[in-house]
Amino acid sequence: MSTTQSDSTDGLEEPDDDKLFRDRVRENPRPAMAWLAGLAFLLLLEIGRVFAGVGQAFGIVGFTVELLASVPTSVGDNVAGTLGSAAGFVATAVTAVLMAFAVTVPVAGSVPDGAVDVLGLDLSRRGRRWAKRAELTFVLVAAAGLVAYTPVGGAFSALIGAITGGVDALAASLPSITSRDLIPNTGHRLPEGGWEGTFLGLSPATAWAIRTGLVFAYATTALVWLWRGFDVYRTHYRLADWTPRDDTVRRFRNNYWGLFGFAIVFLFVVMALWAPAVSPVEAQHNIYEPNSHEFQYLSEDGEVTSTTHVFANLQSRSDGQNTIGPMSYDDYDRWAPLGTTNRGQDMMTHLSYGARTSLVIGLTAIGLGALIAVVLSLLSSYYKGVTDIVTVMASDTIQAVPALLLIMLVSVVFQEANHPIAQPLDGGLLLALIFAFAYWPGMWRSIRGPSLQVSEQEWVDAAKSYGQTPLQTMRKHMAPYIAGYILIYGSLLIGAVIISTAALTFLGLGINPPTPEWGRLIDGGQSYVATDSWHVATIPGIAIVLVVIAFNALGDAIRDAIDPEADVDESEAAATGGGA
Amino acid sequence: MSRWEYFVKRLLLTVPVLFSVLTFLFIMLRAGPIDPVAARLGPQAGAADRAQLRERLGLNDPLWEQYVDFITDFITFNFGQSWVVQAERDILDIAVNAAPATLWLGFWAILLPLFIGIPLGFYAGLNPNTLGDYTASLGGIVWQALPNFWLCVIALAVLRRTRNGGGPFGFDWYAFGPDFASRNISITGTPNLEWFSTTDILMFPVPYVSDWTALAIDVKLILPPAIILGSASMAAELRIGRTAMLETVNSKFVETAKAKGVTDRVIVWKHIFRNALIPLLPVITSEAFLLIGGSVIVEQIFNINGLGRIFFQALTQGDLPMAGALLFLFTLIILGLNILQDFLYTVIDPRVGYEQ
Repeated sequence: MSTTQSDSTDGLEEPDDDKLFRDRVRENPRPAMAWLAGLAFLLLLEIGRVFAGVGQAFGIVGFTVELLASVPTSVGDNVAGTLGSAAGFVATAVTAVLMAFAVTVPVAGSVPDGAVDVLGLDLSRRGRRWAKRAELTFVLVAAAGLVAYTPVGGAFSALIGAITGGVDALAASLPSITSRDLIPNTGHRLPEGGWEGTFLGLSPATAWAIRTGLVFAYATTALVWLWRGFDVYRTHYRLADWTPRDDTVRRFRNNYWGLFGFAIVFLFVVMALWAPAVSPVEAQHNIYEPNSHEFQYLSEDGEVTSTTHVFANLQSRSDGQNTIGPMSYDDYDRWAPLGTTNRGQDMMTHLSYGARTSLVIGLTAIGLGALIAVVLSLLSSYYKGVTDIVTVMASDTIQAVPALLLIMLVSVVFQEANHPIAQPLDGGLLLALIFAFAYWPGMWRSIRGPSLQVSEQEWVDAAKSYGQTPLQTMRKHMAPYIAGYILIYGSLLIGAVIISTAALTFLGLGINPPTPEWGRLIDGGQSYVATDSWHVATIPGIAIVLVVIAFNALGDAIRDAIDPEADVDESEAAATGGGA
Repeated sequence: MSRWEYFVKRLLLTVPVLFSVLTFLFIMLRAGPIDPVAARLGPQAGAADRAQLRERLGLNDPLWEQYVDFITDFITFNFGQSWVVQAERDILDIAVNAAPATLWLGFWAILLPLFIGIPLGFYAGLNPNTLGDYTASLGGIVWQALPNFWLCVIALAVLRRTRNGGGPFGFDWYAFGPDFASRNISITGTPNLEWFSTTDILMFPVPYVSDWTALAIDVKLILPPAIILGSASMAAELRIGRTAMLETVNSKFVETAKAKGVTDRVIVWKHIFRNALIPLLPVITSEAFLLIGGSVIVEQIFNINGLGRIFFQALTQGDLPMAGALLFLFTLIILGLNILQDFLYTVIDPRVGYEQ
């Protein structure tokens, strides 16, 4: 991972050394080849899941593109509603062109000069830059128009459909070492004893334990292999014997509290990524569509009977009177390592898919919020003046409203209106966007000081006077110095996002069923804490506490590792989650 | 820039912030994705009713006129009536009625952490790297990560379990202090706050406690939610108190005092304690954020009819104007507290504003 990341920047950072990373690998290919072979082997073991992941990534990209593509028309429709259809059309076109232009700004730099020379204009450097952007915008708009208004669009979407269909087919047909087909754990008892349908005829509990153990063994191996990759890069391909990053890594490795946090976060992430493998029953069967999936079990009168999940769930609820506790089977031969929920669904399945929900929301919210914060802090510290004041105003406004209440209000407004954004993850995406909106001011404020300091440095002045574009100056000479700070705040805030998501779902304002979420489990179990079904509310609660402690510990450790002297005030970031 | 200039500048900046908050609320409630008429009448309503309500709410006016009306109404506290939660009652009236319970909760939620978190933090800072320090610090870390709503659920279950001496060592929360079991009141609910009366001293009404049992009942009702609501701040106070103490202990003036032969007790209380309090000031004032956000959850679970619970009901029952009005009131409180904090800083700490 680290090798691929650093190859492009390395070449740029060492202009006096004419050997590029690529050349260094070519000279001494053995270690790199060995490492890559190992990586390929690891990927091959889980090839089915890799393709499933690619398919999901396609889905996300497709959804985002569709959403963005619908923006111009929806803006146009709104304008048309008040000012007439002609104005609406103009608004649509203007929005589309503006959006295309926004896309071109970061990429126009890589367009070759020849593209502008064709125009035959005598341009200054600045004019050349704008000409490039204009050209690119024109090309983009033309392409978008072709796709949207001509038959080309049909062919285009057919092509996309073929590709995604192919990936999905591959994902379904290719094997994985941790797949349910290879190590099945759903089966039923036989009248004469023993099990039918499980892995090697073992009990479902053992089969599940083997599969889960395999998942964690695989994930640990992958982690170790990535670490080895960094080592290989460091010993064989890096020019410098030592960089400050080595010290950062060393400090992190000696921080036991941080390593504890990292271990828990790793468990959490693995549980989320391999949710289909760690869950004892398939979520699709048990949670999403319990009506339409049948399975077999050994009934009390000694016959193998079949029933649907919805019926079996009704009989295996943990609701005070009736309890399927942790580490037990229900009456339908289904293994429940963490017991069942108050609605009879499997707790482990809920917990692992809930981890997925939390992780997706946390990463999306913090990633987006951090992006906004970094871009705005760069802009406001580079241009200062009006840009700065406007940003201050915007962030003051958002911070003046109590965050949790703001999130509740916006979430309710969008969900009541049944807005398309509220559909994915049953409101999860909406929640992530609102979190990003509510939390960027805090992050921006915390990196404002460092970015103002960086913008005063001489090297920024030098870059400006060498004629580097503002964008390049910000990206290459300012952003790297802020990256560390935003990493610290991001990891401290993820805990807050996870707690708040759970709290909102607990109140019924966050993520709607059927998407699993930890807060809903606590809500479902809150009346049974003092009964035999204590586990329903307790287990997810402990999980939240552990994960939040771990993210806080990780954030603290990253801070200490990046800069032990850093005077970063974490109270603001950490306190945000306290309201929930 | 003098520090008062800085303060006035901060004060002036509040005005545009207030307006942009109002604009945001307007966009969310009126121009947002939700149709106010549909939200009020539901999907089955007839066309005539809809048109009538549209007219009554002023939705047929031009947008800018609606905007001006909206802003003037909010600034003059003319929020109109509640739709659903307490139908046809004045929103301001509802808020004023619900405020005392929330204030009572907030008062204890600020007070308790102060008297638990700060002493613990100072103790840890005075005895760094001892078993006591580690216990206190670890406790703070765990305490901060505990979600309030989960704590509420668990605490309620545990307290209910102690009924009739079911707790450890025969502890019974119902019988502890004022007896709830014999009075037949629930351990959750809204405090009455009817324990004080006023008497006229020199023509001025002065409140005094007239019913100590009622006071005790109200305190007992509010204690568990207040501790939970204050939990995050308690942890923050503990950690920052520890750091502040550590820094002050190692500072030069403490060394000087030691060299002069000042006794340990005087050093701790006069030289260390006072200086360590300074970084804790913003933590204490910023608690208001947490309290307002957290009050929704805690009040909902503990059945306290305060502002937070009413906000929650307004949201879940589709009473959007009331939710918007309450959010505006909360924002006003926070802006006021921010100004108060800036004012206190300007008075207390002469360094503020100089480096800007």
